[in-house]
Amino acid sequence: MTKSRRTIAGALLALLVTAANAVGIPPAYTPLVVEPAVSAGRSEFDLGPALARAKRENKRLYVYLGASDCPYCRRYENFLGKNADELVPHFKPWIVVDLRSTLSTTANRLFIRVGDTSLNYTDFQRAIDDQRTRMLVYPSVWLFDPQMKPLMQMPAGTGTFETVEEQLEILNLVQ
Amino acid sequence: MTLSSPLEMRIRRRQLVLGLGAWPLAMAPTARAAIGGLPSNTGHADISPEWELLRGRLFGARPIAAGSGRVQLIAPLRAAYGASVPVKIVSQLAQTPALYVKRLHLLVDKNPSPLAATLELTPEVGQADFETRLRVDEYSHVRVVSELSNGELHMDSRYVKTSGGCSAPPNRDSPELIGRTIFKLPEPPKMDAPTTADLTVIHPNDTGFELNNVTVMYIPSYFVRTIAVSYAGRKIFDADLDFSISENPTWRFNFVPHTPGELRAEVADSKERHYTGSLQVG
Repeated sequence: MTKSRRTIAGALLALLVTAANAVGIPPAYTPLVVEPAVSAGRSEFDLGPALARAKRENKRLYVYLGASDCPYCRRYENFLGKNADELVPHFKPWIVVDLRSTLSTTANRLFIRVGDTSLNYTDFQRAIDDQRTRMLVYPSVWLFDPQMKPLMQMPAGTGTFETVEEQLEILNLVQ
Repeated sequence: MTLSSPLEMRIRRRQLVLGLGAWPLAMAPTARAAIGGLPSNTGHADISPEWELLRGRLFGARPIAAGSGRVQLIAPLRAAYGASVPVKIVSQLAQTPALYVKRLHLLVDKNPSPLAATLELTPEVGQADFETRLRVDEYSHVRVVSELSNGELHMDSRYVKTSGGCSAPPNRDSPELIGRTIFKLPEPPKMDAPTTADLTVIHPNDTGFELNNVTVMYIPSYFVRTIAVSYAGRKIFDADLDFSISENPTWRFNFVPHTPGELRAEVADSKERHYTGSLQVG
């Protein structure tokens, strides 16, 4: 193999590895990506624009909190990517919101803003009567209606819906 | 895994009683895989290979009535946290000296130590309903077997899905609180009627399988082994427990106070440390 061919092959390999480890919900799901506003040691995610869009389009919100350095997040995202052909049509009634965090963003540092109110993770969970107050686990998913009412109590982590059948259970709100 | 000697003996004893070798469930036949990689026995009332094994060891050939309605187990399909799955046992039978729930066995089929709790009850419980929180290591059936004073066995089960994730380790900043045993009455006591009480023991209830992210060493197993609850000197129930019970073991139960008295719990853990807690009632 010539030097130039090796260079091209190397570049292609690097591209493939990067694609395989791409961070976040795969583009096939047309996620609304929300990067945090970081200041004074806190990372604040604003759900306002997602909620406004959900109201406008009368869609539900599938809010995903992932971390760039979290192996469980990559596993779920890879699962979604691998099964996009089958799953994307079922996500049609949903707006997928991709909150991009890091593992160092702990419960007391992670804030979620809705309108004028900004609450840290624990207070936000209490405010919406979510049982996951004890510990912030990456990744996490919330399901909301267009009025931001939780649709179902979700588990911490995504390991219980990493088969197509179980992901459909979640989208169909099977408890 | 590093085990203290009494604990090692205790686990060996449990394994001998259950007829299990070292971490035997890995050797148990696995459930058949269905399309999509899920096991096929995910119905709440389904049996599992692990249960078949346990059933023989614990109950021999005695008949067990499943779904008879005598006992009901309430648990979520997907728990918020696998380390703390709320379960509720509801008995459709009043505790009378003539016929009462004598023993409750709480099992998690796929946990490394599947027998989470055995409760020995007296008619003083009034109503044999219990609530606690369990560790559920992976997708598993959770079962309750209710043994009546006439020898009948009744069972109910639920299939529970849990999974891991990235999170901070549990808070162990207050070792001085370990063993603190607290009673609470959610409502004022009712004389001569079942009264609900909550009992919490502050304890890490470490399984021995958890890695300390800082030291990269396994945290040694250390858990509440027994709890004996009495009221006015009369036994309410005794619990034989394991690390399948969540951190800070909590039990909601009933008792029947006939006169003012002391509600008392005597607790022993796997390091043979003893703790007591009490509450004056009435």
